[in-house]
Amino acid sequence: VSGFEATGPITATGLAPPEWGGFDPARTRGRAGDVLRSFRTSTRLGWQMEANWTDPLLFFIYSVAKPVSSALILVFMLEVIGGGSKPEYRAFVVVGSALWAFVLSGISGLAWTVLDDRERYRMLKYVYVSPSDFLVVLLGRGVARIAVGAMGALITLGIGVAVLGVPFDIARVDWPLLVIVMAIGLASIIAIGVMLAAICLQTRQESWSYPEAVGGSLFLVSGAVFPILVLPALVQAVGLVTPLSWWIEGVRQSLFPGGISSIGGTGSLFESLTGQASPAPGQIVVALLATGTVATLASIAVFRASDRRAKDRGLLDQTTGS
Amino acid sequence: MSTAFAYRPTASPQEAAAWTRRQVLMTDLRTVAGRAYPRVRGMAREKSWVFFEVLLPFLATSAFVFVYRALQAPPQYIGFVVLGGAMTAFWLNVIWMMAQQLWWEKSQGNLELYFAAPMNIMSVLFGMAFGGFIMASTRAAAVLVVATVLYGVSFEVNQWVLLLAVFFLTLAALYGLGMVLASLFLMWGREAWHLTQLLVEPVYFVSGLNFPIASLGLLGSVAIAILPLAVGLDAMRQLAFADSAYPAGTPGPGVEALILVAMTVVFTLLARWALKTLERRARQEGRLSVRWQ
Repeated sequence: VSGFEATGPITATGLAPPEWGGFDPARTRGRAGDVLRSFRTSTRLGWQMEANWTDPLLFFIYSVAKPVSSALILVFMLEVIGGGSKPEYRAFVVVGSALWAFVLSGISGLAWTVLDDRERYRMLKYVYVSPSDFLVVLLGRGVARIAVGAMGALITLGIGVAVLGVPFDIARVDWPLLVIVMAIGLASIIAIGVMLAAICLQTRQESWSYPEAVGGSLFLVSGAVFPILVLPALVQAVGLVTPLSWWIEGVRQSLFPGGISSIGGTGSLFESLTGQASPAPGQIVVALLATGTVATLASIAVFRASDRRAKDRGLLDQTTGS
Repeated sequence: MSTAFAYRPTASPQEAAAWTRRQVLMTDLRTVAGRAYPRVRGMAREKSWVFFEVLLPFLATSAFVFVYRALQAPPQYIGFVVLGGAMTAFWLNVIWMMAQQLWWEKSQGNLELYFAAPMNIMSVLFGMAFGGFIMASTRAAAVLVVATVLYGVSFEVNQWVLLLAVFFLTLAALYGLGMVLASLFLMWGREAWHLTQLLVEPVYFVSGLNFPIASLGLLGSVAIAILPLAVGLDAMRQLAFADSAYPAGTPGPGVEALILVAMTVVFTLLARWALKTLERRARQEGRLSVRWQ
């Protein structure tokens, strides 16, 4: 007797679990409560990492200095040229630069989570082998930076209204449009962030610059601080298929109905395609939904492919010294 | 090998450690060259660095060019933005590769080796500055040439010598400030990375990177007094667009060149003092090799 023969009758066949239970794959899949707990924990961790390096006052200054300075640069550019006399121009650049702070936080927050954990703290492989879904952890960690970006954006808007003379009338705000475009826009920003995080899983040194490079490129085509009609028609077309362009236009039109359009205008590609001077709220929502859905589906596909390849090639613990 | 380092029989270790002035000078010069070498040699070694270091300032510059185009601004304003965009390459180099460098070296475990080596740590800073200047110059030149051609900027220079003098003085003062910040960031530890982030957009704003600084009024005057980027950029704009209408309210380029000379001297002395003080404190508190804090 070799000692390996079965001592009793074998009831299970193939890879099915034995009668006594054995390994149950269902137990490795988290339930809704587990997912929520992972998300909450990673959100808290992300916030601690973002905020615990200094006292609250310095952290506040740090969080708002960048977006407020960006808005001030544009406001002074308007002043110098004489555009400051037109309050709608101020509203245009203040809203655009405030929203862009939010975009950059969302994009870079998710991508830098991968880089921080892999390159700096060297924890990525441990996070990966934990029972939590990595995508849930990634989103949780990104929430902290999105929150910081949102705070910066809100304060920039507040300073714009209170100090820089942006003509804001709360009674004229199109609240349904604002709520809808904010929800879809946030999802689109996260989708772009997840896509970049997936790309950073594959790349080596100097991936730290990727979010800024992508952000800088999108900044040019999204009409954040100037109407895209000043761009060549081909670049305008790129802007029209970017969800961020429609999100920024939607927020602008909801906060300042009838203000300057970043997508339309006389001679714009939008006008030549539709015959309208600027998009109507319904068109903005439909376009944002369509482009946002494409971006989200693409990001999920890219993330899953990147996830598989990273596991296959052993990239999760491959630090590059950057 | 230099004769300054030739074998010299000595009676005791103490006598061997008593270096001549020539040996000290040669060691410091070799330190400058040694620390500058990786930056100069590595300028194009990591291709993605070259791409991003040119692309990022270029994208930002382009965005502001389009803002002025949308406002139908006079053509010299496009030139102001392009010049400012080129100078951002130096500022980013100063804050990321000078100010943050010693903290980063500490995090990598190299800083204790620097302090243990028989050299003046100021030589390391000079080497970093020289290598960084060469490296950033290539990036700035690329941004300047591409943006000038693409956006049709025409410069009108009447005083080339003064323009070049102001340019080099601006860089000397900028890297002097970088040396001061390097010492301070060593003390601030983990806050250094965040403070580096903080020194980008706010400094761009108060330096008048995309608009004439005279429009900032008192704030602009303060910036001219303390920020090399502000005073250097203002002087270069006055000299590079000599025939264009330029908002009055700032000193002439000659005066601004003198301000830059004063800044260079003050920042270099301040860096020397700060480095000595912080080195002493760090040794006393045993923080030279403490990482991630």
